[in-house]
Amino acid sequence: MRGRILVAGALALALAASACSSGGNKENSKKNNTGKTPGAIKEGGTLRIGTNSRIDSLNPMVAFNQDAYTMFEYIYPYLVQYDTKTLQFAPYFATSWETSTDGKDWTFHTVQGARWSDGQPLTAKDAAWTMTTIMKFGDGPTTNLAPLLSHVTTVEAPDDNTVVIHYQQAVGNVLSQIQQLPILPQHVWEPLAAGNGKTLKTFKNDAPIVSGGPFQLSQFSKDDIALFTTNPNFFGAKPHIDGFGLKMFSNDDALIQAAKHGDIDMIEGGGGTIPPTSVQTLKGIGWVVDTGPGMTENDFIINSHKPLHAELLDPKLREAFAHAMDRDQIDQVVWLGLAQPAAAFIPPADGVWHDTSLQPESFDLQMANQLLDDAGYKRGSDGTRVANGHPMAYNVITPTDLTGVDRTFQIIQGDFQQIGVKLTQRAEDSSAAFDEICGKDCTAYDTFDLAMWDWVPLIDPDFMLSVLTCDQFGGWSDSGYCNPEYDKLYQRQGVTIDPGARQQIVHQMQQMVYNDRPYIMLNYVNVVESHSKQWDGFLMSALSSFNNLSIETMTQVHQVG
Amino acid sequence: MRGIDYVLKRTGFALITVFVAITLNFVLFRALPGDAITNLSRVPHATPQLKRAIAKEFGLDKSKWQQYVIYLEQLAKGNMGISYEDQQPVVSKLKEKLANTIPMVALGTVIAILLGVVTGVISAWRRGTYLDNLSTMTAMAFYSFPTQWLALMLIILLAGFFPVSGRTDVFLLNPSAWQHFKDVMIHMTLPALTVALTLYGEYTLIVRSAMLETLGEDYVLTARAKGLKPWTVVRRHAFRNAMLPTVTLMAISLGYIVAGQILIETVFGWPGIGRAVFLAVSERDFPMLQGAFLVLTLVVVFFNLAADLLYFRLDPRITT
Repeated sequence: MRGRILVAGALALALAASACSSGGNKENSKKNNTGKTPGAIKEGGTLRIGTNSRIDSLNPMVAFNQDAYTMFEYIYPYLVQYDTKTLQFAPYFATSWETSTDGKDWTFHTVQGARWSDGQPLTAKDAAWTMTTIMKFGDGPTTNLAPLLSHVTTVEAPDDNTVVIHYQQAVGNVLSQIQQLPILPQHVWEPLAAGNGKTLKTFKNDAPIVSGGPFQLSQFSKDDIALFTTNPNFFGAKPHIDGFGLKMFSNDDALIQAAKHGDIDMIEGGGGTIPPTSVQTLKGIGWVVDTGPGMTENDFIINSHKPLHAELLDPKLREAFAHAMDRDQIDQVVWLGLAQPAAAFIPPADGVWHDTSLQPESFDLQMANQLLDDAGYKRGSDGTRVANGHPMAYNVITPTDLTGVDRTFQIIQGDFQQIGVKLTQRAEDSSAAFDEICGKDCTAYDTFDLAMWDWVPLIDPDFMLSVLTCDQFGGWSDSGYCNPEYDKLYQRQGVTIDPGARQQIVHQMQQMVYNDRPYIMLNYVNVVESHSKQWDGFLMSALSSFNNLSIETMTQVHQVG
Repeated sequence: MRGIDYVLKRTGFALITVFVAITLNFVLFRALPGDAITNLSRVPHATPQLKRAIAKEFGLDKSKWQQYVIYLEQLAKGNMGISYEDQQPVVSKLKEKLANTIPMVALGTVIAILLGVVTGVISAWRRGTYLDNLSTMTAMAFYSFPTQWLALMLIILLAGFFPVSGRTDVFLLNPSAWQHFKDVMIHMTLPALTVALTLYGEYTLIVRSAMLETLGEDYVLTARAKGLKPWTVVRRHAFRNAMLPTVTLMAISLGYIVAGQILIETVFGWPGIGRAVFLAVSERDFPMLQGAFLVLTLVVVFFNLAADLLYFRLDPRITT
């Protein structure tokens, strides 16, 4: 998602254990699945995480910041979670599940004898009630979560340990949707669902929150701190730590200084959240810096509906533009090597959904010039080409909060000058930028030519694919791209249950976008996170180790004995 | 009677200022490019239908005039609305943020006033000396530093001695009242110091200038001629008269205590009203912005009115 709705892990700092309250000191050596050989595990302690993200609300009907999603992952049970290493679905509150042959009915078998943190029984009925309530008020208070239950007709709990979800039609991404849906304690939330349910949205859900996950939120001060302690009633494996805390920073320098002086134990990693320039500083203070393919991808947007200058719809011009992108230089100069050139708009971190056959266009200014010459865009007296009687000079909208965008633009601007195209940066805050892109009533797409932005897709490709459908005019579309053939494929992948068949369709859609070029993909940005050597057990993923994919990291992380 | 006229006139101006500010609060934020719904609908799988539902929920589908009338009606009832961001009442959010901001900025402002007055008086008293030059140049330097730069320098220099972000230590579990107080104070040190350093220079320069003016007056010469000690001349004859322009500056400073310090709170992650305003602007959270700026307006107008009335008391020339 764009900007602040980062689905990828937001930056989280794990704060060092030294100043933490320490539980017992018993040691054991247990194997974890981090792929590393762990040292002796020292039980107890509180992991201090620093983040420059924030928790916008404690209410799942309202929140949409990444750290809020991650918080819910740890305090509320979910039917399924991801296996962070394989990105396959793994049991959580549901121990197993099966689907009917027509793919319309999904049955989940849940943990027996589970309890909420206040001692009340946690059963399949809580799950059924949560989903039914979200559907009931889907046009109002629960509208944020309702799309996760698209095509669901009814949800029932025939007994305390079984949930059955009935769909109108077979749906290709049931588990990825269910994985994002927290199960709420019915005994707490049911009174809020009376009448029009408006209280569901205005409920503050202040700490301490009744929890069913491995942790409970015990203290919260907005934009400042959040403290989590273990939930003694959690049905799963007990964490090694006594708890963890998030300290929210609002500038990166303070965050790095806090790390240097031992005020925190970890910096949460996510797309661009640890500045590349800070990596050496963190290594210099002896911290471990983990990096790997991330979910953040940067793109150059070409208005594909009604650009101010019609020649931008010309496929040859777009191809020339693509060859004028020096992705390697951008990766080295802007990201200090912590990024890779991009081609497909589903990133490699999405695993099998990414189409590896697509490669970035070569950086070849000669070829770009040739393409433009062949297309009839002659140079004017000042070297700028002319199209339809006017100089090829365009504004490029850039959101001010996009990491690295200014330097990236400068590199592109210099190269475009060499192909006779003049670019001018138009920096705006993200709200103003998006509104200028989508135009009148946010559906016109007739007031811009070019823009730059980023995306942070989900693991399942459905959302990212949806962004380029005609239905997203006025929604997430930032290019005005509308292609009925693409939309048909989108519908097909949504009802294709066989993963192999769905994968083929998803690849086909990426190829279509690659050729039509509403986006010229620039680079995939690495996820970078860092922690003190006093801690281990972090399970790195494309969304960093502190993520809303699973509860694995915080149940495995531990002090080094 | 002239005194009553003066008070009524000043109070009338204050009320008109408040009403104009209320209207501008409504108009200005809506004139910004970008709208609240764009932000509110940024959830996975958001649809145009969701946007319409949100617009209806917050009354943003109504005409601007209708929204303005509703805004005035609700304001008259003391209702500042619901924050778009987290659906909580703006009044309670403002109270919480102000409770965080006021002590920090007030501490910094008080330190700035004391430091500025002392250095200003000393500079004037020792005019032309090395001490005066040093004091004046230092004051001008701090007055000129960009606030965020100074804040970052303090972070780099003093990190490790003081916390560099936040208001409390999340890991100080179940603190006693005293422990909590100490914790807040130590977190407050760097932001309050930044406030103090950025403000004090202005006081130094104004107090110095006012003092130099009064030190040249005939009555000061008379006092000296009477054989009074230099410090007595400064304290009893010059300083009191030099306070008039300083009072105005103090009134303005006190008004801005409530406004918080957007840059300082953002750099230090201080969860106060300045940071809340910054976030509300970027998210187009109109009710929060309107509430915050209304409170700011009321307080600034109040302190300016108080300064006017204090002038009336301090300076008899106003009524003659």
